[in-house]
This record gives sequence, C-alpha cells and structure tokens, in this order.
Amino acid sequence: MSRPASTLGNLDVHVSAEPIVAWRAWALTGHHDGTGLLLRPVAKRARTWRPREVVEASCRASRWHEAPEPDCTCGLHGTHGIEVLRKTRCPAVLGRVALWGRVIEHEHGYRARFAYPQRLRLLCQFCFWKSGARRPPPEHVGWFPHGELIPLCGEHLQIAERHGVSPRWLLPAADVEQRLRDTYAVDALAV
Amino acid sequence: MDIGRPKRIIEIEPVSLPLPGEAAPAEPTPAYQPDAEPEPAAPDRR
Repeated sequence: MSRPASTLGNLDVHVSAEPIVAWRAWALTGHHDGTGLLLRPVAKRARTWRPREVVEASCRASRWHEAPEPDCTCGLHGTHGIEVLRKTRCPAVLGRVALWGRVIEHEHGYRARFAYPQRLRLLCQFCFWKSGARRPPPEHVGWFPHGELIPLCGEHLQIAERHGVSPRWLLPAADVEQRLRDTYAVDALAV
Repeated sequence: MDIGRPKRIIEIEPVSLPLPGEAAPAEPTPAYQPDAEPEPAAPDRR
C-alpha cells in the first residue's frame, strides 16, 4: 500500500482504487418453498442485504456521524480470515464480500461504508462451530418460524429432531444455494 | 465478533455494483481462419 495521504484521528488514511475482498457470514431468511431468499446480518435487528443493490452502512448508535466512524463499531464488517467467523451467532451462509468507500482496517478485519457479496455457500452452523468451513456442504435447509432458514448436515438434522427441534419444512440445500447465488448474481464459494 | 483495534483507514473510490455474474457480454469476434479462402470480389457490373 502507498504512503498515507493524510491522517484522521490517530489513523493514517490511504487511497485506493480497488475494492477490498474479505470474509463474512450471514443469516438467511426466506419463504417455506425456498423463494424470497435474503441475506441478513447475524446481528439481530440489522437490515437485510437486498439482492443486486449496493449495501450502505449507517450507524444505529448515532445519527451524527457517517459509518464507519473510527471511534465507533458501526459499518459493514468483513474479516481477514474464516476462523474469526466461527464465533458468530447462527451463521447460515459463508462468503467473500467486496468492501469500498471508507474502509477502516482492523487487526482481524474491516468496517466499510459500502459492500456487496461476491461468492457464497451454505454452512451447517454446527459443523462450522465444531470443525471450521472445510466440511462437506449441508444437505438440507430447515425452514423455521419467522422465515429463518438453517442449513444442516444429515447428522445435525437428526440430532436437532431428537431434541424436538424440527423444521416446519425441509428443502434440498443444493437447490437453495443455487437460488441464493442466482438471486444475488454471485458465484459459488469453493471452500 | 471482535475484529480488534483499528489500524488504518482506506478511502476507496466509489465503484459500480460489482456483480460477478453479470459482466457485459463481449462483442462477438469472427473466428480466426488462417486457411480460409478470401471472399470472392463482387462482379464488376460496369
């Protein structure tokens, strides 16, 4: 990266022409027939990412600054690596995301003004928590009340059902993933 | 999710929506045919 063009607070400001591509995880919502798929930040109450529209950050803590602000936690998050994402709550989709506009680089990731996904794949969240992303893709997607879609491998679907957590509808994960990629016009993520 | 301390700010020019699956189709170019016979010239009707 070039020499800093200026400073803001105690941070150097660099200028670049190329978007940054980072890792990110999302929750997934949709209808029980697998239509109406929407990526949703794993943080509750955050806005969905609308297909084929640039996502722009805003700060819920303060209306008086533009996101991302160096002294806040606002902005659209991405990470340098996958491991950090294993700590997120209920990840259903793993992907690569393009970030641009003002981007604040942190030790383990970024906060950005604008974003759009580049590559996506479904995740069994229990396999991801336990073993990381290098596991076979989930075979099923369970539809739960409030439109929450949870991809599951066969083993974890059985465990969920044994504990009385049964999805209202069950969809083939390959079909949901293809529809998700078509909806957002993105490529498959090979991990 | 903890992404650690901020290190620096990068200002990236606004870009058009990066949709990987929607690159504009390129103009079709005629296939290269090194041994193709030249097109016959149009008859002179003068």
